[in-house]
Amino acid sequence: MYSKLAFRNIRRSLRDYIIYFVTLTLTAALMYSFLALGFSPDILAMTENMSMLTTGILILSVLIAFMSSFVIGYAIRFMLGQRKKEFAAYELMGMEVKTVRNLFLVENGIIGGVAFLLGTLVGTGLSGLLNQVVQNIFEIPHTYRVLFSFRAWGMTLFFFILMYGFGMFRAAKVIRRQKVIDLLYDNQKNEEIRFQSLHRSVLTGLLSVAAMIAGVILLEKGLHIQTNEALLYFGGACLLILVGVYELHRNIPVLLYQFAKRNPHRKYREENLFFLGQIGRRIQSSGRTMAVVAILLTISLATMFLGLTMGAGYKANMEAYYPYDAGVAIDAPLTKNSMDSVLSFVDERCKVEDSVTYYLYAVPDEAIEALSLSDYNHLREILGLSPVSINNNEFFVHCDTWNYMDDIRQRLEQQPEITLNGQTLTVAETPILTEPMEQYQMAGTNGYVLVLPDEAASQLSGEKIRLVMKLEGGGYPELRSELRQFLNSGKWLPDIQPGQELPERVTMGVTVKAWGVANSLTGFTTLSFCGLYLSIIFIILSCSVLAFEQLSAIDKNQKNYAVIDRLGVSAQKQASLVRKELSTVFLIPLFFPIVLTILLVVGTQFIFGEAILQAGLVLFYGVITILLFCAIYLTYFGATMFLFKKVILRPEMR
Amino acid sequence: MKEVLKLDHIQKYYGNGGNITKAIQDISFSVQQGEFVGIMGASGSGKTTLLNCISTIDTVSAGHIYLDGTDVTEINEKEIARFRRENLGFVFQDFNLLDTLTISENIALALTINQVPAGEIDGRVRGMAVKLNITDILDKYPYQVSGGQKQRCACARAIINQPKLILADEPTGALDSHSSQMLLSTIQSINETLGATILMVTHDAFSASYANRILFLRDGAIFTEILKGGDSRRTFFNKILDVLTMMGGGVSDVL
Repeated sequence: MYSKLAFRNIRRSLRDYIIYFVTLTLTAALMYSFLALGFSPDILAMTENMSMLTTGILILSVLIAFMSSFVIGYAIRFMLGQRKKEFAAYELMGMEVKTVRNLFLVENGIIGGVAFLLGTLVGTGLSGLLNQVVQNIFEIPHTYRVLFSFRAWGMTLFFFILMYGFGMFRAAKVIRRQKVIDLLYDNQKNEEIRFQSLHRSVLTGLLSVAAMIAGVILLEKGLHIQTNEALLYFGGACLLILVGVYELHRNIPVLLYQFAKRNPHRKYREENLFFLGQIGRRIQSSGRTMAVVAILLTISLATMFLGLTMGAGYKANMEAYYPYDAGVAIDAPLTKNSMDSVLSFVDERCKVEDSVTYYLYAVPDEAIEALSLSDYNHLREILGLSPVSINNNEFFVHCDTWNYMDDIRQRLEQQPEITLNGQTLTVAETPILTEPMEQYQMAGTNGYVLVLPDEAASQLSGEKIRLVMKLEGGGYPELRSELRQFLNSGKWLPDIQPGQELPERVTMGVTVKAWGVANSLTGFTTLSFCGLYLSIIFIILSCSVLAFEQLSAIDKNQKNYAVIDRLGVSAQKQASLVRKELSTVFLIPLFFPIVLTILLVVGTQFIFGEAILQAGLVLFYGVITILLFCAIYLTYFGATMFLFKKVILRPEMR
Repeated sequence: MKEVLKLDHIQKYYGNGGNITKAIQDISFSVQQGEFVGIMGASGSGKTTLLNCISTIDTVSAGHIYLDGTDVTEINEKEIARFRRENLGFVFQDFNLLDTLTISENIALALTINQVPAGEIDGRVRGMAVKLNITDILDKYPYQVSGGQKQRCACARAIINQPKLILADEPTGALDSHSSQMLLSTIQSINETLGATILMVTHDAFSASYANRILFLRDGAIFTEILKGGDSRRTFFNKILDVLTMMGGGVSDVL
């Protein structure tokens, strides 16, 4: 009997349940599809560290389940509010509170169950698409194939039960504690509108702006710190910016509302008085929710943009990060012969077409290292670049690390000459060359190197040795671990240059382009997909909260619109007021997230634009982020508007 | 005296086919300018349906309603809003004030909807508040004032545009006896001093005794009509009770 009643209740309350149902379904669909991608054997087999995608998605799923549980709790409270009178009627007829609670839980259980099944079904289709996208990134031939992973399904079910269970638990508690009198008369309670004083609002607003500016300053400082201390700066910056966003969203609408009400001409123009009253109530009752939504949207937009841009930037810069097929860097004064066995080891596995063994020379009293012109030109030859020539009394700097460029240029302008072992060298006509030649300290430990005539270089001490190889077919990813194993195995016996000593700790680096490319693509996939996963779900959750916030006030709004209808406000004006009211409520939490995203796009272009080798990439992903966001946001806005108009306006007004 | 309202054989049916409910059978009457007319009847007699038809909230099934010469039943949907704001004022049992606006703003709302210049609004609101003795609550919100004060605010909102007809639906229904008395005196004074034409629906004999003329409805038709004439309010009240007893109203309709 009760299950029949529960089914009928669902059909009757379809209007209230629809957005809730869509949100649950989308959350389940996204969660399943991303988890299925993370667990997909095809994807995991692509590279040796693809498991970082699985780890990222799993960690984010925990966070998403936690956030979703709050939104589900919120949605359930909204639905309880809509049906208080009905529950009161059940209780007045003698139904036990326990039965009422169970009835509600059964209804929600049915909805949750259907949403989960439908969501995972949609997710199965979606995961096939995601799988294709990843294979496309790795340039693997692919066709659309439905992916079903029992493990992903089980994990989704687990997370879904966790978040849904939490929401249901809270709902059960609310029903148990509600008295019949509250259920009956709750919607007749007066709404009190009280705002803090104008001065206080202005002060808090100014403090919020100050917090945001301080946050941006910290962020800027953090970007110039190369140590872990930068994390402290970033953490502090995020905290200050988010607190600023929250407080501004609490205060700006209040300030605007108060200013608008102060000016009689604005206040009394057309239906502004009614509109301001409606908005005032929204700011009062939903101010906090809107501010939290603003924070969630800021995080979502920033995550989506950074995820996509950094991922794509990583991919775009891949060629520059790995100009050579393979390289070995040992920060020790070894003889060049020591590298012969390394070359033989590689050659046995993969034919070495060309190689160069060279030193990075120590320059007395300078932090920069030097490279001889012949070695430099040999490296250029391997890269297919034309050789460089300078006079015997000249030098230049090679630097393809963008963030040192300005300092080096400045230094060369100030000091165009250097003296090495009594010989003075002047800077060449082209003082800095910037082609991508750096690959794990191959061209200088710090990403820049002094290029000297061979004679001048030979008088310096070669303290670090490098080996660069050009391999047939570009090599293979596993070569990196094989080579590392060989260097550490004890089979390799290097010689130290006469009169030199081995440093206490020897830094050794092995780079293989084939491994690096695969690794970069993994990084790209992980960053982009995790960013998308988190942000899309956060946007959906935020939109749902906004929609529930609107729909929960629908009865009171219906009453208010009925009043102005009787006072003679035309149907057309009422429809326009509904649109204006709903748009304002949906726009308020959007203002700063959008402004901050635009600032983030501009800032990223300004700071990293030079470093990312694909022109226009930052702007492109900025636009993609905003478009994707708008698509989701507008869908929820449209759905809320439809339901809102359907309830508030007479059919001929809609 | 000028005829403000004329109802010409109006009928209102609900339902269709063989399942028709006749809410109003056949009602005709007219109201002169400056009159205070009460409409009484038991629950289901058609009072509220009649008021809704006059106020253009509902449509008639047959007949015509003329307000100041305009046939209300012929006004199209687009014109209804303008017609309401220019010709009608409403006072309802549950006040229908907006909790989101102060008392002063609630009154001003009617003026802004009528596109009264912003510079005039505050002055007119204050003037009306003085007349209805609500100046000290102008900056308060509806939830901060008593029921009687709320209803006086609703009256102020209803008359501030000087409508041709004020429609009151059980205006004292949600008030205690003291507040009811005060409100009815206010409505009477609006009628007498401002010359407003009022049509009040009530099932309370005491409230009805403030009117000049009362129409009694039963089963969707006018049962009878009585005039106050030169009678005192007490005498008129007793006459109302007599009619109600004759109509077969229960004790609740009398006391």
